[in-house]
Amino acid sequence: MMRRALPLLIGALALLYPLLVSGSAVYQRLGALVLLSAIGASAWNLIGGYAGQVSVGHAVFFGAGAYAALAGYAQFGMPPIAGAPIGVGVAILVAALIGVPTLRLSGHYFSMATIAVAELVRVLVTNWEWLGGAQGISGPAIPRTVLDLSFTSAVPYYYIFLAVLVSILFMTWRIEKSRMGFYLRAIKDSERAARSLGVAAGRYKLYAYMLSAGLTAVAGALYAIMFGFVDPESGCGILISVKMLIMAALGGAGLLFGPLVGALILVPLEEISNSLLGGKGAGLTFVVYGAIIVVIARFLPSGLLALFTGLRSPRKPSATEPSHAA
Amino acid sequence: MLLKASQLTMAFGAFKAVDDASVAVNEGEVLGLIGPNGAGKSTFFNCLTGDLHPTSGTVHFEGRDVTRLTPEQRARLGIARTFQVPLTFESMSVLDNVMIGAFLRHHAAAAARDKALEVIGEVGLGGAAEASAKSLGTPGRKRLEIARALASEPKVLLLDEAMAGLTPAEIRAAIDLVRQIHRRGITLVIVEHIMEVIVSLADRVVVFHQGREIARGTPSEVTRNELVIEAYLGKRHAAKLSGGTT
Repeated sequence: MMRRALPLLIGALALLYPLLVSGSAVYQRLGALVLLSAIGASAWNLIGGYAGQVSVGHAVFFGAGAYAALAGYAQFGMPPIAGAPIGVGVAILVAALIGVPTLRLSGHYFSMATIAVAELVRVLVTNWEWLGGAQGISGPAIPRTVLDLSFTSAVPYYYIFLAVLVSILFMTWRIEKSRMGFYLRAIKDSERAARSLGVAAGRYKLYAYMLSAGLTAVAGALYAIMFGFVDPESGCGILISVKMLIMAALGGAGLLFGPLVGALILVPLEEISNSLLGGKGAGLTFVVYGAIIVVIARFLPSGLLALFTGLRSPRKPSATEPSHAA
Repeated sequence: MLLKASQLTMAFGAFKAVDDASVAVNEGEVLGLIGPNGAGKSTFFNCLTGDLHPTSGTVHFEGRDVTRLTPEQRARLGIARTFQVPLTFESMSVLDNVMIGAFLRHHAAAAARDKALEVIGEVGLGGAAEASAKSLGTPGRKRLEIARALASEPKVLLLDEAMAGLTPAEIRAAIDLVRQIHRRGITLVIVEHIMEVIVSLADRVVVFHQGREIARGTPSEVTRNELVIEAYLGKRHAAKLSGGTT
């Protein structure tokens, strides 16, 4: 009974949430932000969670989406949404270029290489006048048509994000049940053993990385469309990469709903601390995220959701190896 | 000739772990590779599977040069292996582990699951299909590795010390399993420390010592070979032994 009723209840709640909090624009906006973060973290989950290749450089792809959306407007007057596919394409291409050399590295070395590349890209963007340099670029101040997707209420964003998140989760679920999903998990557990069984590990990691990059660019474009502004820090900063990682790891990396659970916890936390501390809290965010990483690595290497899946279905045991958490 | 290594040398810096070894594996046979610790068996074995690329020499499989092929390419051609220290997929169930092997020839999940369940039954892990791989002990893990390799439907199966760490009773069970695999027409290459296993399983044996082949023949021939006795026991003990028998 519970197993059937629970998903229905959660689905109904997700659909009706903006109406339930219709009195409060703050809560509506919070809902949209949770979904947006969940999109990014779910995209990261494909390569970082399922395949166990912990990227700390996904801000590159997020930035590709965000900048493509707004640069298209700033330079050519295109509606931001029209720039999104370009951003996705750029992200996939960049992922292929970065992935071929870096995915040969294992464990922490891969993570460090992705940080290095992401920081390099951030500096590059900061000095790139066409992309607005350090000032960043803005979207349309006043919506010209509905295609600009510029709304004063957060409710339309909420439903757009919900639709995108559901699509990504459905796709991830299909992959999880397919040969590719099995292969990615095998690579995470033991790349050498996987290869001995015919798994072209390099190729599968690259596919997962490119797919993850493309979906991360979608998150970036949606962010830019909602906020109408991107600069090097909000588009390509290391905090973007770290947030995706932490959300997925907190909820459960390599689990379908892990990133969503992580976002449900962390985004409200972040909003509360922002409103309490105002502008003074900027540096504190890093401290809080650092503390969360320590707690996850020490006590929850498989994330919160694993605590429940471990009890419910013995077929998918809660993995307790710390390798992929931090 | 199913699998053939010609003049294989694997050097790590100035040290030659394998030095000019040539070994051919005939279709349908059980070939044993033996030798004392550090003889180069495992290095040679890893050159056959593609985990290592030899410094010089070639590896042919079914007449085709596979020297530069990756492990996954060789697996696709029909070379499967197990590992000395089992490398099971620890976060997965036994069934999922074996499905990874089965996916090589069966791309749909349902077909791979059927194949995996069939193999799991054959190797005697039927009761543990849903159990976590982590819950298995050493004999179970070794069996799981064999099942996983078999599910990839190989032509030749290379077992790297599949009996190490097993009790005598477990060894007898494992020998039965290997015999049963051989009866299905799969060629076997076994690296083994335990003489009893080699004597009861291998048709032919190649003996390695310090990277070189020092003897080959049937198990009874090589166990009587003086060079082999010397390599295992050292010169003085070997002399004592031969002095005692004459």
